[in-house]
Amino acid sequence: MNNRIAVTIDPDLADLVPRFLDNRRRDVAKLTDLLASGSFGEIRMIGHSMKGAGGGYGFDQITYIGDAIERAALAADHKVIQAGIEQLADYLARVDVVLGA
Amino acid sequence: MVTAKASAGIVLLVDDDQDMLNLLSKWLEGAGFTALMSCSGSDALRQLGISRPDIVVTDLFMDEMDGMTLVTRIHDENPLTPVIMLSGQARIPDAVRATHLGTSAFLTKPITKDAFLEEVHKHIRLGRREDVAAFARNIVYSSDVMAELLEQAELVARGDVTVFISGETGTGKEVLARAIHDGSNRRQHAFIGVNCGAIPEQLLESELFGHEKGSFTGASSRHEGLFLAADGGTLFLDEIGDMPLGLQVKLLRVLQDFEVRPVGSIKSVPVNVRIISATHNDLESLVEKGEFREDLYYRLNVVPLKMPRLAERAGDIPLLLEHFLAQNAAKTVTLKKRFAPDAVAFLASAVWPGNIRQLINAVELCTTLYTGDIIPLAMAQRALRQRAVHIKTLKDAKADFERDYLVSVLRISGGNVANAARIAGRNRTEFYKLLNQYELDAASYRDSANPADSD
Repeated sequence: MNNRIAVTIDPDLADLVPRFLDNRRRDVAKLTDLLASGSFGEIRMIGHSMKGAGGGYGFDQITYIGDAIERAALAADHKVIQAGIEQLADYLARVDVVLGA
Repeated sequence: MVTAKASAGIVLLVDDDQDMLNLLSKWLEGAGFTALMSCSGSDALRQLGISRPDIVVTDLFMDEMDGMTLVTRIHDENPLTPVIMLSGQARIPDAVRATHLGTSAFLTKPITKDAFLEEVHKHIRLGRREDVAAFARNIVYSSDVMAELLEQAELVARGDVTVFISGETGTGKEVLARAIHDGSNRRQHAFIGVNCGAIPEQLLESELFGHEKGSFTGASSRHEGLFLAADGGTLFLDEIGDMPLGLQVKLLRVLQDFEVRPVGSIKSVPVNVRIISATHNDLESLVEKGEFREDLYYRLNVVPLKMPRLAERAGDIPLLLEHFLAQNAAKTVTLKKRFAPDAVAFLASAVWPGNIRQLINAVELCTTLYTGDIIPLAMAQRALRQRAVHIKTLKDAKADFERDYLVSVLRISGGNVANAARIAGRNRTEFYKLLNQYELDAASYRDSANPADSD
């Protein structure tokens, strides 16, 4: 079974996408640490940024995950944030970038 | 300063998320814009002063300074700068507040490339630089203070509102008034300027509103008046603060009704005139002292523009020196002189109480008195020390020279006109004409040793 996720990206963004995805991988680690320390304000900021930029780059799923994390941080909902972090890690592990129109 | 010549415009992006900045910047540059990035509000305010963007796009939710505060600060500096605000949340209260603060658009993230670029295209001050450059083609400047003033004046020119220009004597208020007229729909009609402080009250009334034949002693013919002469165009009332109170009432009536009644006439005539007034006085304090009518002040002061002192636009001084040196060379048909670098530095840091008028005089004095090509620091210093020195017009200076020359030739020739004409390279008829023109009597230059003229 093929569990990869193919996402078509604007070729103009080709040079930016690797950095964007690397930053999201760093977010997984950061969010995990922040959740451990209960830093919901900073978690909210990261979720907010993911939500704002994800869709623009073509990664709508990152926008959805970011939105869920931002909302959960406002409610200090540990469980939902944890689920969001896992979803993000899973998505990043499976996403394949396809350049196209 | 960043220029927009090869660009569709300069966009300043403000966001504390570098990935978002990179994305928007990529989209903008792909569409031909020049994108500048700031990662905080304070950095954006610094950039604004340097690069003068055509539009600012800012995130609302930022760590150090939020988008609302940034918009307020931007508009404190320049209310004409369009700002687009991006927000991660479509909250109506935020959108309402942003609109009240003067943002051009409130967009919700994530945003698509097409939607983003459409909004930028819609709100950027398209062609504003070119418009302002065309408007100010006769004004020499590079300073921010002048750029902002001219940007406002260009917008004002397009409308038909009454403009009030304040500023010290010699700052170029009439030059700005004329630029506003030339940039307006009235440019095909007359621009007429009148110095309200230089004409006695009775004469000023007649000058402005006209008079009928026989309406007062000396009114031997009908006079149309400047309001009617400027019909369809612009009337520039300079030194309005010096207008006598009696006449202020009459001017107010004209501005209310847009009709003038010439002195001695029983009929009012409609006029269509844009009024630009100016003064070096503090009109508000004249109002407080009862020397200027408050109602007229508010009628005139619809759009106030302030000409900066020359010292406030010191960055323009090197350009102005170049301009007036070139103008002087063209006028005198001589090679253009230059100021030595230390002279330019000295002049650029001077106080200039007489503003541009004083600078023009200084350039004329230097070019007249200094015969070399590069005017040294000492000459520039002397010109400022002698700022009160009267510089003759070229015509008067030439006339003085010609008279002195004729006297010298007559002295040399001992009053012998034939010899004097020969020395001067003129025939006798022409030489006699010159002597008559300058009321010179050749006989008075004859001495006992040479009593007889041979002609």
